[in-house]
Amino acid sequence: MQGSTRRTGIMTDVHRRFLQLLMTHGVLEECDVKRLPKHCDKVHDCNATVEKPEDFINNINSVLESLYIEIKKGVTEDDGRPIYALVNLATTSISKMASDFAENELDLFRKALELIIDSDTGFASSTNILNLVDQLKGKKMRKKEAEHVLQKFVQNKWQGEKEGEFTLHGRAILEMDQYIRETYPDAVKVCNICRSLLIQGQSCETCGIRVHVPCVAKYLQSNSEPHCPHCNDYWPHEVPEVFDPEKERETGMSRSNKRSLRSRQH
Amino acid sequence: MSHASKRRRCVLEEGSETQSVLAVVEEDTSSSSTCSSSFPSSSSSSSSSFYPLILSSPEEELNDPSQGPSQNPPSSFLSPTAVASPMSQSEDGSSSQKEESLSTSEALPNAESLPRNVINDKVADLVEFLLLKYRTKELTTKAEMLNVVIKDYQDHFPEIFREALECLQLAFGVDVKEVDPSNDSYALVTTLGLTCDGMMSDGETMPKNGILIVILSMIFMEGDCVSEEKVWEVLNVMGVYDGTDHFIYGEPRELITRVLVQEQYFEYRQVPNSDPARYEFLWGPRAHAEICKMTLLEFLAKISGSDPRAFPLWYEEALRQQEERAQSGITTTDDTSAMASESSSAPSSSFCPE
Repeated sequence: MQGSTRRTGIMTDVHRRFLQLLMTHGVLEECDVKRLPKHCDKVHDCNATVEKPEDFINNINSVLESLYIEIKKGVTEDDGRPIYALVNLATTSISKMASDFAENELDLFRKALELIIDSDTGFASSTNILNLVDQLKGKKMRKKEAEHVLQKFVQNKWQGEKEGEFTLHGRAILEMDQYIRETYPDAVKVCNICRSLLIQGQSCETCGIRVHVPCVAKYLQSNSEPHCPHCNDYWPHEVPEVFDPEKERETGMSRSNKRSLRSRQH
Repeated sequence: MSHASKRRRCVLEEGSETQSVLAVVEEDTSSSSTCSSSFPSSSSSSSSSFYPLILSSPEEELNDPSQGPSQNPPSSFLSPTAVASPMSQSEDGSSSQKEESLSTSEALPNAESLPRNVINDKVADLVEFLLLKYRTKELTTKAEMLNVVIKDYQDHFPEIFREALECLQLAFGVDVKEVDPSNDSYALVTTLGLTCDGMMSDGETMPKNGILIVILSMIFMEGDCVSEEKVWEVLNVMGVYDGTDHFIYGEPRELITRVLVQEQYFEYRQVPNSDPARYEFLWGPRAHAEICKMTLLEFLAKISGSDPRAFPLWYEEALRQQEERAQSGITTTDDTSAMASESSSAPSSSFCPE
C-alpha cells in the first residue's frame, strides 16, 4: 500500500503489554523495559531479536504520535535512575489526576505543588501543607483527611515522601512538566546542565545556578577537582557516583528499597 | 516520499478550501515524520480510515517550533474548520457559497464530509477517554462518550468510535466489549494472552499461570463465584500458604488479591452483608474475554481422567459460552492450551467432582 515503509510488524504484543503496564503503574523503570521483551520471547519461544530500550520506546512512540501521546524518558532526581511515563501532549493541566481525585484533593495537590516549587530544597513539610487545608476549593477537608490524601498521592506516584516532607515524584515531573512551566513561570527552577525542570538539586554558592544531582555527578565524573559548570568555582557539595544499573544488579538490592525516595545528600 | 503525495491526494478528494490551507502547511513540513505507515490497513475500507492516524503531529502542522504542542490543544484545530462542521451535517445544500464548494466533491460518501484533522482530534480524545476507563476499570456508555468527548460531532460517532477502537487494539491491545446492549454500556479489557505476562513482581518473573488456572477452575466449578476460604484450602494442598513466601509464586495473597486483580483476571470482593468481612473471588473481565470455558473443562477432565461430558452442568455452561462467542463473532486469544501444559502438575485430587 505505501511502499517499503510499511511497518506492520512494529507493534507487537510485547509493545502493547508494555503500554498496558505503563498505564497501570504510572511509571516504569529501564530494567522493566529490558526485562519484558526477554520474558515474552522466552514464553513464545521465538527468535525475534530483542530491541534495545531506546528502539523499543521509539517504535511505540512513532505509533502513538498521532494520538498526541508519548512515552517520555526521565531520570529520578535523587538517584539518577532512568524512568518512563506516558505523557499526553495535548493537555496542559493535571488532568490525569482528575479521574482519581476529588476537587478538594486536586486543590490540595496544587497547593502542595506550589509550596514544593517555591521551596529551596524541593520539599514541603506536611505541616505547611496541612495548614492550607482551610483554603481548599470544594468540600471542606479536615487535616486528618488531608494526611490520608497526601499518602494517596505518594501511593499513586504523584508525590514522594521523606521524613515527613513531600516532593514531586519523577512521574509527576515528567507528566506535568508543561503544566508546571506554564503555571509557575517565575518560580520554576531549571537544571543548568540538562535544562529540564528541577525540583531537587544542588546549587552553586557563588553564582546561584542549580543542577540535578545525577547531572552534576555525570559532569564531575572524571574530575578530581569538582567545580561549578557555570562559574568554575569550587563545588562544595558531596557528589555521589553515577547510577550504574549493572552495579545495582550485583549488589542485589531489592526494588522496594529503591522505590522510596532516599536522597543521598542533604 | 510516498507519504507526502498521499497528503496531496487527500486535499483533492476533500475539495474544501479550508482543508487545502491546512494541507499546504502539512506539505511544507520535513519528511521527518516517522508515523507514515504505523497503522496497517486491515480492512478493505482502505487506508483512508487510517488517515487521521498518520497525519502529522501538532508541532509539524503548525510549522512553528516555538509553539509546543501543549499550546495547541486539539480544539485549536477546530477553528478553521468550525465553519465547515455545521455544513457537513446538512447535506441538502443551501444558498451559502461555502457549502456549495464543499458539496462539489460528490465523489465523497456523505459521512466523510468532516475534515480529516477534526476526526483525528476526536479519535485522539476518545482514545484518551477510553484508556482512562481501562485504567480505572470502569464501564462507560455510548451516552457518556457522546457527552464528554464527541459533543458537536454526534453524527460522526460511528466513524470516530470505529477508528478509536482500531487504535486501541493496534497500539494498546485493549478491546472495547459491549456489556449491556440495552443501555449501550461497554467495558475495556485487554486482549493480550496470558503468555505475555510476567512483569508485576520484584525480581525475576514467575509463572503465575498455574495458580491462576487453579483458581479460575474453582470459580467455574462453583458457578462463577468462590469463597476465599475455599481458595486457601485448595492452595494449601498445593503447598501455598497465606502469609508465607512461596518459592515460585512469591507472596500468594499479594498475587491473588492484588496482582491478578489488577490484571483483571479476578474480581475480589467482600461478600455482601458479611460481618466479619469475608471475601470471594469471581472471574474478572479479562478472564471472561480470554479464557475459553470448554478448553478449561477439557483440561479439568483430562487431569481427573475423564471426559468433559461427565460434568453435564459445566459442559452446558461451556457450550453456552461457545455459542455466545460464535454469535458475537469474538475470536479470543486462547492460551489455555499453553496453560494446560504448564499446570499439568496441579494435584488432581482438588478437582474431583462431587
